[in-house]
Amino acid sequence: MDLLAAYQPLLDLFLISAGFALSQYVVLRAGVFSIATAGLVSIGSYLAAILMTTYGVSIWLAAPAATLVGLAFGLLLSIPLARLRGPYQAIATLAFVQIMLALALYAEPLTGGAVGINNIPKQVSTLGLLFCVALTLYVLGSINRTRPGRIFDALRQDEGVAGSLGISIAFHHTLAFALSGAIAGLFGALQAGYIYSIVPHQYGFALVAGTLAAVILGGRRSIWGPVVGAAIMTVLPELARPLADNRLLLIGLLLVVMIVFLPQGVVDGLLQLRRRRRGQLEATSKATPTTTGGMRA
Amino acid sequence: MLAQQLFNGLVLGAVYALFALGFNLVFGVHKIMNLAHGAVFMIGAFAGLYGVLGGLPLWLAVLVAALCTGLLSVTIDALAFRPLRTSSEAEFAVLITSIGVDMILVNLALRVSEAHTMRFPFGVVPVEPLLVFGLRITPLQLVILGAALLCGALLAWYLYRTSFGRQVRAVSSNERAAMLLGVEPRAVYFQTFFISGALAGIAGVLIGLAFNSISFSMGEPYLLRGFVVLIVGGLGSLPGAAVAGLALGILQTLTVAYFPSGLTDLIVYSVLFLMLLVRPNGLFGGAIADARMARR
Repeated sequence: MDLLAAYQPLLDLFLISAGFALSQYVVLRAGVFSIATAGLVSIGSYLAAILMTTYGVSIWLAAPAATLVGLAFGLLLSIPLARLRGPYQAIATLAFVQIMLALALYAEPLTGGAVGINNIPKQVSTLGLLFCVALTLYVLGSINRTRPGRIFDALRQDEGVAGSLGISIAFHHTLAFALSGAIAGLFGALQAGYIYSIVPHQYGFALVAGTLAAVILGGRRSIWGPVVGAAIMTVLPELARPLADNRLLLIGLLLVVMIVFLPQGVVDGLLQLRRRRRGQLEATSKATPTTTGGMRA
Repeated sequence: MLAQQLFNGLVLGAVYALFALGFNLVFGVHKIMNLAHGAVFMIGAFAGLYGVLGGLPLWLAVLVAALCTGLLSVTIDALAFRPLRTSSEAEFAVLITSIGVDMILVNLALRVSEAHTMRFPFGVVPVEPLLVFGLRITPLQLVILGAALLCGALLAWYLYRTSFGRQVRAVSSNERAAMLLGVEPRAVYFQTFFISGALAGIAGVLIGLAFNSISFSMGEPYLLRGFVVLIVGGLGSLPGAAVAGLALGILQTLTVAYFPSGLTDLIVYSVLFLMLLVRPNGLFGGAIADARMARR
């Protein structure tokens, strides 16, 4: 029990960043190169913080509201962005993140400017975070196992082929944007209800890079990829305490090494390895049909 | 007053253009979006500063900085980009490794500078302003404008008047065909990355001089501005980058002068966003860069 108490803040941090990573994962999985998650998170955070401080609304109402608003912004963003591809999409969404940042700094009466919003009541518990991550995983897992999930895979691998098979590309990109926005809004609200105070610079380039890094490290196909990635990103700095000042250096090196040597990420890389090994086993068993021939038929 | 602001904007825009030219050269020729370009720019500013502190005259310090960042950029290409060239998702992978490199360089600079903001010693460039047609022009502004013009002219001469430049342009239109015709791609990669890094380094020293503050975090805002220039000018278009860089400098100076403070970023990035919606290929983007093409 003591152990849990000691590591509880770390666990909470991990759960929140896992939520951000899942929001980033949804779009990447569908082949959309959007990095708008940080901007959508900031919308959720600020909305929830304003609702909770100025209007005294409880998190039970603020979090669903932030989820809906995040979803709405995801939908809105998808209208212009579904037309763009690749680097253009990345740059446009980065511009969106910067616009949100500039707005948060500028709209001082509403957002507190550079000082941010302080004294947000803490209403989010570890259990609540755990529940939200589990819920998100359940929803995304269900989607992945059904038609939209298969279509996301097809879109990521080859958009041309997917389109020629009669799949509506625009609709599924919009769906991915909306999901990403809803998840980002939800976890933005949870973050606001957890850390007492928020400032604009939390939602800048560092969050973009950190979230992207989690998804890349973990993997972009399996739903467990972003979760494992977020765990690595949270635990690594703790394991490397003596290197605490060089956290960025460590993550940067990890990113480069990872992409060069295990480009699918930890989870997908391991899954692929297992699949390949199983494939080899099947290949050898086919060579000697007496052993498994009956079983397969 | 307006003329003065326009001139100040022009000077700032010249540095933006210098920064974006290198960024865009690498993208235009190799389709590599190098997010570490901002960090290279920052390293250039530090190299120039340490050169001056070490007793070098300014012009030599600028050259040394350009050499350092040129070689740094070539090293980044060799370590972080070259292993990915055969990858099926190279476009995406390169973006990620360049973010990684950016983090590494920023962290190193943070450690070396101990998070201090550093300054050039007083009097590196004379500060007495000259009065020309009622404009206050500092010698520093002249130095910046001159250096930017010189670099731009050299780059244009190199790309359009020399055999090396012809090879670079050949690779940019079709790398495979260029290879079949005897162009050595490694040499081309070396040149483009060296030039791109050197331009970023020079821009770094000039910005360090202009605002007289050099810190580990100075790269990021310029990288983000670099995106704006890239899109507005057209991905891969060098004349576009030059014009859009100047325009951005003027736009930024004017918004700072005539609008409430804090609105600048909002306006600049909204322009970028609108540009992507209305004309994603930019002002000068031609057939090379098509934003709507499907991947691969």
